[in-house]
Amino acid sequence: MEPKIGVYICHCGSNIAATVDVEKVAEYARSLPSVVVSRDYKFMCSDPGQDLIKKDIKEMGVNRVVVASCSPQMHEPTFRRAVQEAGLNPYFFEMANIREQCSWVTESRKEATEKAKALVSAAVRRVYFHEPLENKEVPVHPDTLIVGGGIAGIQAALEIANAGHKVYLVEKEPSIGGHMMQLDKTFPTLDCSACILTPKMSMVGAHPMIELLTFSEIDYVSGYVGNFRVKIHKKARSVDATKCNGCGTCMTKCPIKVDSEFDEKLSKRKAIYTPFAQAVPNVPVIDRKHCTYFLKGKCRACEKFCERNAIDFQQEDEILDIEVGNVIITTGYKLFDPSVIKEYGYGRLDNVLTSLEFERMVNSAGPTGGQILLKNGKEPESIAIIHCVGSRDEKYHEYCSRICCMYGMKFAHLLLEHVHGAKVYEFYIDIRSFGKGYEEFYNRVQREGTIFFRGRPGEITDVAQTPEEKGKLIIQFEDTLIGKQRRLPVDMVILCSGIEPQSDAQEIAHKFNISCGKENFFTERHPKLDPVATMTDGIFIAGCCQGPKDIPDTVAQASAAAARVLALINNGKVEIEADTAVIDESKCSGCRVCNLLCPYNAISYIEKDKVSRINEALCKGCGTCVAACPSGAITHRHFTDVQVLAELEGILV
Amino acid sequence: MSDNGQATFLEQVASLPACEKINECIQCGVCSGSCSTATRWEYPPRKVIAMVRAGMKDELLKSNSIWFCVSCYLCTARCPRDIKPANIIHGLESIALQEGYKPPTKTTTMYRTFAASITDYGRVYEFGFMLKYFLKTNPLAALNMLPLAIGLFSHGRMPLTAKKVKGKDQLNIIINRLSTGGDR
Repeated sequence: MEPKIGVYICHCGSNIAATVDVEKVAEYARSLPSVVVSRDYKFMCSDPGQDLIKKDIKEMGVNRVVVASCSPQMHEPTFRRAVQEAGLNPYFFEMANIREQCSWVTESRKEATEKAKALVSAAVRRVYFHEPLENKEVPVHPDTLIVGGGIAGIQAALEIANAGHKVYLVEKEPSIGGHMMQLDKTFPTLDCSACILTPKMSMVGAHPMIELLTFSEIDYVSGYVGNFRVKIHKKARSVDATKCNGCGTCMTKCPIKVDSEFDEKLSKRKAIYTPFAQAVPNVPVIDRKHCTYFLKGKCRACEKFCERNAIDFQQEDEILDIEVGNVIITTGYKLFDPSVIKEYGYGRLDNVLTSLEFERMVNSAGPTGGQILLKNGKEPESIAIIHCVGSRDEKYHEYCSRICCMYGMKFAHLLLEHVHGAKVYEFYIDIRSFGKGYEEFYNRVQREGTIFFRGRPGEITDVAQTPEEKGKLIIQFEDTLIGKQRRLPVDMVILCSGIEPQSDAQEIAHKFNISCGKENFFTERHPKLDPVATMTDGIFIAGCCQGPKDIPDTVAQASAAAARVLALINNGKVEIEADTAVIDESKCSGCRVCNLLCPYNAISYIEKDKVSRINEALCKGCGTCVAACPSGAITHRHFTDVQVLAELEGILV
Repeated sequence: MSDNGQATFLEQVASLPACEKINECIQCGVCSGSCSTATRWEYPPRKVIAMVRAGMKDELLKSNSIWFCVSCYLCTARCPRDIKPANIIHGLESIALQEGYKPPTKTTTMYRTFAASITDYGRVYEFGFMLKYFLKTNPLAALNMLPLAIGLFSHGRMPLTAKKVKGKDQLNIIINRLSTGGDR
């Protein structure tokens, strides 16, 4: 059928019309080949604007549409839908961006108008060669995989499971709970962290729709949105979970002591252990790297004393193969290790602690039963809390870790509570108390008697210069609000260490085909408008793995990711855009160059036919394979050579 | 640029070698907190940077700050914004001297006497250099140093005669080049 092109120039209020002479452009378009109608209108994206297009399609037989307006990122879906509603294939539509790429970036009215004419001419020539294409529909598997069992993973799992859909929650530690389980009280409400977390953990453990896979990791992922195949590596606990009743006898009998990771090495655990008393599931694991039986073949005390015969030294790792429709990654953070900051003496000087070490110490269920103690067993009389350790620093992490000002002030409050008469000093550069109730908390902590010094300390030393400094840790800093360098002797120093992504962030990103940013946090699709989605459809992220944040924001993101997943599950199917690449198998030589180049792993080699084939659902239409194919066997639908060259001609003519 | 087209004090300092990041200072105070001689400065290093940004050229170049920098570089090593306060401080010394400010300390006398020793001998002739320095500043103070001088001399650490280096003329060519602006 002979192409009949309708051209519509949008004023976009004054956004375009103030700079581009839209009437002149419409007049020019009228003169272009195959254009049967050319109009200009104030707001093309509005209902009356769209009606103009629909009317012309129905009454004038327009069968190709060009709208010259804003960016396709804004309104391509809007106009494609309008075109479709009028009975035309949506791919017979082309947009010319005369706003972001023209009126908004050109000062001279004359130049902007000439450029707009060129852009319209390009779109007109291109749309002439458009083909009718159909979006592909793929079904969405209703199960979901959540990677990481901290508060983010737990929240997301409960949201989806409560909606009646199955969730696999994979956690690499023996219990879910994450870092939140290590905390004592949480800011600004001073809620007991375990008290608000354990009920959720319990619900997860008991939920019929959640399959909890702890002590497990992700081996391999393949597939595409709605249809992922995942291999999960379930490490052997050496304990039969179906028999174990969590009595804990094995742990009391085990003779081997190992530094407890959960207690930040401030206490010992056994070789057979649960990381903490409220573990979910409450089934211990044997640390085979330290267990005497696995190292030397002796002992077996746990087995001897277990009333349920639940110890199984022969237990092997398992590989599970599952199918899910969507994935939410909630792998959380790790604390910056301040040993690299030599001038702060962490690891070298006694009584310099990290934030997590202090959390364990102040926790009543921790290694000191909630007592704040120096290495010599006494209580400290004076404590310094240093902000921005490893954060806001080009040598370590340029970013601000967001939570340290608040948790540093929380420590001040807890210290004043736990240690009668203690003097607490906060060393800060800026106080970032941005959330609900946060500034009020800062006010409270000041009222309670915490002393704030504005000045990032130069060093922490034990080299005394006066008799008062002997036996103390001395903070050398500039009190910037006075403008003088000072030395303050204290008994204990707490470093507000920043937070970083987990050390395997890049590995996880690679497995799930998502990206990591400069600092290894996972990259969201859009930092403002789409913070829980990634560039890979069906893979979502939530919590600190996306960027540093507090518990309220983590929970909000987890619920957001769950909502996105539920939307996909609810729709039951997802549309894949048609501008994918396709291989003409009669031309394919089987060289496989495209296989390696595809950034989305969308091309596979079919052994029996000796050709490559593109998975349309994975293909994102980037065009790399199209350009690389030495046989010219790959066509890029909606970006064919004819279409692209026509567009170029339009610009140049 | 200020209205009359002259560079502002801040622009002048920022254009010195390795000083362009002065605008990025967040005034955290690590430089002053680490500075080995900060307690003697009228305005500690952080304040010096703040005063440059505030255009307080006169107060700054008349003070004793900047003259006490001993180039220990702790400030530069620890600055979280990768600014080089030591470079800025030494740059300010140059500006002060070029524009005729008289330093309130003996620092420039020591620098000049030291430099003269280098141009004369190609190396520092400690005995001569110290003698000249004390004669120019405070001859009586030299007497206080006598025990130290005797100790050094008896351990063979302070030759009484000067030794010139070979190729001293070539060294002086290099120094002249740098003194007159050098190859930038």
